Amino acid sequence: MADFGSNPILTLLEVRADGQLAKSAAGMLGAAAQIGSPVALLVSDAEGVAEQAASLGAQQVLVAEPGAELTVPVVDALAAAFELVQPDAVLVSNSVDGRDVGGRFSARAGLPIAVDAVGLSRDEEGVVVHHSVFGGAFNVDSAATFGPLVVTLREGAVDARAEAAPAQSQQLTVTPSGARAATIESFEAEVAASSRPELRGAAKVVSGGRGLGSAEKFELVEQLADVLGAAVGASRAAVDAGYVPHSYQVGQTGVSVSPQLYVALGISGAIQHKAGMQTAKTIVAINKDADAPIFEIADFGVVGDLFTVVPQLIAALEARKA
Amino acid sequence: MKIVVLVKEVPDTYGDRRLDLETGIVDRAASDAVLDEIGERSLEVALSYADGHPDTEIVLLSMGPESAQASIRRGLAMGASSAVQVVDEALLGADLGLTSEVLAAALQHTGFDLVIAGNESTDGSGGVIPAMLAERLGVPQLTALASVEITDASVSGRRVLDDGVATVSASLPAVISITESLPDARMANIKGIMAAKKKPYEVLSLADLGVVAEREDAPRSIMIAVSERPPRGAGVKIVDEGDAGEQLAEFLVQNRLA
Amino acid sequence: MAEYRPPLTDLRFALEHVVGYPEISALPGYEHADLDTVVELLESYGEFVTKVIAPTNRIGDTEGVQYHPDGSVTVPQAFKDAYRTYVETGWGSVPMPQEFGGEGFPRTVGLAMQEMITSANMSFALGPLLTQGAIEALTAVGTEELQRRFLPKMVTGEWAGTMNLTEPQAGSDVGALTTRAVPREDGTYAITGQKIFISFGEHDLTDQIVHLVLARTPDAPEGTRGISCFVVPKFLVNEDGTLGERNGVRALSVEHKMGIHGSPTCVMSYEGATGYLLGEENRGMSIMFIMMNTARTSVGLEGVALAERAYQDALAYAKQRIQGRAPGSSEPSPIIDFPDVRRMLLTQQASIAALRRLILLHGVQVDLSTHHPDAAVRERASEVVALLTPICKSFGSDQGIELTSLALQVHGGSGYIEETGVAQHYRDARIAAIYEGTNGIQAADLVGRKLPVRDGASALEFIEQLQALDSDLAGAGEDFAAIRSQLETQLGTLKRTTQWMLRTGVSDPRAVLAGSSPYLRMWGLCVCAWLLAKSALAAASVGDESAAEQLVLARFYAQQILPQVSGLESAAVAGADDLYALDAVPVR
Repeated sequence: MADFGSNPILTLLEVRADGQLAKSAAGMLGAAAQIGSPVALLVSDAEGVAEQAASLGAQQVLVAEPGAELTVPVVDALAAAFELVQPDAVLVSNSVDGRDVGGRFSARAGLPIAVDAVGLSRDEEGVVVHHSVFGGAFNVDSAATFGPLVVTLREGAVDARAEAAPAQSQQLTVTPSGARAATIESFEAEVAASSRPELRGAAKVVSGGRGLGSAEKFELVEQLADVLGAAVGASRAAVDAGYVPHSYQVGQTGVSVSPQLYVALGISGAIQHKAGMQTAKTIVAINKDADAPIFEIADFGVVGDLFTVVPQLIAALEARKA
Repeated sequence: MKIVVLVKEVPDTYGDRRLDLETGIVDRAASDAVLDEIGERSLEVALSYADGHPDTEIVLLSMGPESAQASIRRGLAMGASSAVQVVDEALLGADLGLTSEVLAAALQHTGFDLVIAGNESTDGSGGVIPAMLAERLGVPQLTALASVEITDASVSGRRVLDDGVATVSASLPAVISITESLPDARMANIKGIMAAKKKPYEVLSLADLGVVAEREDAPRSIMIAVSERPPRGAGVKIVDEGDAGEQLAEFLVQNRLA
Repeated sequence: MAEYRPPLTDLRFALEHVVGYPEISALPGYEHADLDTVVELLESYGEFVTKVIAPTNRIGDTEGVQYHPDGSVTVPQAFKDAYRTYVETGWGSVPMPQEFGGEGFPRTVGLAMQEMITSANMSFALGPLLTQGAIEALTAVGTEELQRRFLPKMVTGEWAGTMNLTEPQAGSDVGALTTRAVPREDGTYAITGQKIFISFGEHDLTDQIVHLVLARTPDAPEGTRGISCFVVPKFLVNEDGTLGERNGVRALSVEHKMGIHGSPTCVMSYEGATGYLLGEENRGMSIMFIMMNTARTSVGLEGVALAERAYQDALAYAKQRIQGRAPGSSEPSPIIDFPDVRRMLLTQQASIAALRRLILLHGVQVDLSTHHPDAAVRERASEVVALLTPICKSFGSDQGIELTSLALQVHGGSGYIEETGVAQHYRDARIAAIYEGTNGIQAADLVGRKLPVRDGASALEFIEQLQALDSDLAGAGEDFAAIRSQLETQLGTLKRTTQWMLRTGVSDPRAVLAGSSPYLRMWGLCVCAWLLAKSALAAASVGDESAAEQLVLARFYAQQILPQVSGLESAAVAGADDLYALDAVPVR
């Protein structure tokens, strides 16, 4: 019988269709390691996933067979793992799937659930969950009144990483609950992502707004991002106008980012957008409208035509690199 | 077909949203309260289905303070058939566990073929209630749907995930949540406003639902600290006179950001 | 141009605490129109107006309307789309009688709605406004047959209505009109003549247009006593309600105007068109008078609505336009920090709040005059309506021009540039002082028809009622002392001038007419100051969050605008001698 340590933190890692661990895995294990011993659960039959998890810091790895249906098989596996590990906390990603699993499991097990955590720590009473709410305007700490809790972790929020561990994995036996579940009819994988950093958790982000004017002209945002080694984001207006897909959207109803540098091009800075990026360390804005609200929070604002300023900026940066 | 739409009154995202620094609870006086936009989109999904199926019953379900009535009535004015609101002092500061327990009990009270919720609220941004409800009610859930098709026995749609798009389906009864890709709600018009006054509006307490909020044996999630981040101010602002791009490059390099 | 935001909070406060709306919703027939329902209605309507109507304002101005050689007139596509939604959502029917498919809400509510749609797009708002006038006339004196045939679709807005009075030689002197109405065997009349300045005379928003036309039957007496009113539809209507033959009415041209470009202003030609008599022969003017109070107040409201719209632009501009350093500031300042700009903004804000209350007060009096169970109350309310009508129309429209001009001034040079958007409000506002009876006519109406009612008792009783606020002001403490003092002085001036008018009018009507315009302005200023004071008192006594702000507005108005009344007195009582002392001399 494996030893799960004195403070096991059961961490559900997501596995992509291509057999690789999701980008969120490193941060999840890093967060778990801050409050205990990460025990990873992988519901996958892909090869080598246990080893990947161990290399990212999982002290122990449990592997369960995937089920055909949506969510319930993972919840069943999580329930079995919980039973076995008896952790202080159960960590899932705040991804679309993670929330479903975390939600169903917490309801099934009668455990409290804390959502969209940006950090974890311990005090003398137990695990403390850190939240950043209302677009970063308020910081909140939460905890369970007693016993273990379920936490969904905001992707890209935790920078800490766990030390690699020797791969120790075991197969988990899961008894299906038989709960009614939805069916996955089909799945279309997204065409291979570029080498550009992912938006969530990126250190630098360059975002474009309505001011870009078209999907073609949005390329300017990407050019600047590449020069800076940044991820690409967009305002809701740009997404609604069809310049870029929804996954680029930064804001109240999109991705929340807290990078070192956030460059806003042609973005007015409506409250809903600010809610997704105003905790960035440094904010730069370029907009031809002097009264755009984005200038109220920009550390360096340029009132001007982005189609003149950005190419000049790119040229100046490239000149310095050379 | 009976569709229950979950709606929630939240602080207006256009206004100044604040938490009470003592209690950690939303400071309702700080800004106007409105029906969360995603709830309106959820209602629109139900109304669109009802447009083609006139015997559809649409029930608005909400848990919150009594003052939310006016916002919920707008949903009636938009075309919902009736409203159920759970109001109880003991629910102030309720965590997700208690909230899901209460809503599940209310759903058992109203009955349903389909529950439609928003994928996440603008104040909590949790996005877990739909799944919690599904578990408690023993039904499948389809969350974060970017498109929805409803038939009299099933519901299906497209889910946008980080690495691709899945087409999913479930037989009814089921719980679904939708994203903001779904259309804006129709506006209430005068006929709707006048008709809304005659529509049933039921207010339930925890006692009516047989739910006990304070339980020694149930662990809850509680807030243990709240603090406010100081607001950001503006820094340098220049007007481009031909060299703004270069000045900006200088700024980024100096601050080791480029 | 800032996005229009409906002033719902102020509307609610004015209705609830200043103009007495709760009394209206207690009247028989208006029970369904309780304040909470009205507020809900206004919120939804505000959303509709902002999302659907406001975005069409600019295009109406820049694109305008097109006249085609075949006599058809097309409006911008955006207007057509917006109008279709307007009809579908049924908003136009809210203040219309329930008997004919309307929702039967009070006139006061209709005015609150009208303010918002006019702020959003004055050109667009004119169409439904004219239809409303035609509906009012048909409802008042139309036969069952005429009502059945025309009203239902006019109430929904599917059919539009117009008012045809003016002719090239008959504007202010409507009695000089010559359009003929010749009776036919079947009881209809053949209408022949030309009308000008007909708003929405022809367009492609609706399938049918119902024209109300003033014309003279053969052997009718001269002047206004010989005018009859006829219903002349663009298409004859079949028994089954469907549209039939095209009638003999067409547009000859559209005018190229200074403003309200989105409103098709037509020259209409009637060539033996089939007309149905409305009411009785030679009773046309009395029918016009039925609608006149509401029509004129609506025009005054146009001034207020545009002033509000322009003010929102000016306020937004002043907050972010950085120029120089305000006194006492070490940093570059937005212009709102400068005293003179503050004066311009506060003048707008206070005046608009006052005028809004004035218009709503008129609405409440109209509702009392039609729905109060006590005949004496109805009677007095009718008197007050009649008295306030010329003031609402004239002062409201004059202020609309002055305040939109001020809003433009706040913008500096950019205000003069059309693209900025504020100039449109100024141009749109200008017509309100002219149509529906020029402001000179309004002033003549005030001194010639309204003052003499009960030998002046009607007007003097009203002034006494204004003066009665003094005791409330006395009990409200130091904060209200300056307001109280100024109101006392100026209401005294108004009373004194009124007495001069009453005395002088008997023997020297020309003298009274000479001072009528300054006199009307005195009335406007006094009633507005009174309303702001009343509003501030109410806010203080209920502890409303706006109390501090309203006190400032009332005090500013009382101390810095109301004193103009004293200055106007001289002109009001100067008589006509100097006006006629010079013959028209050529330029020196």
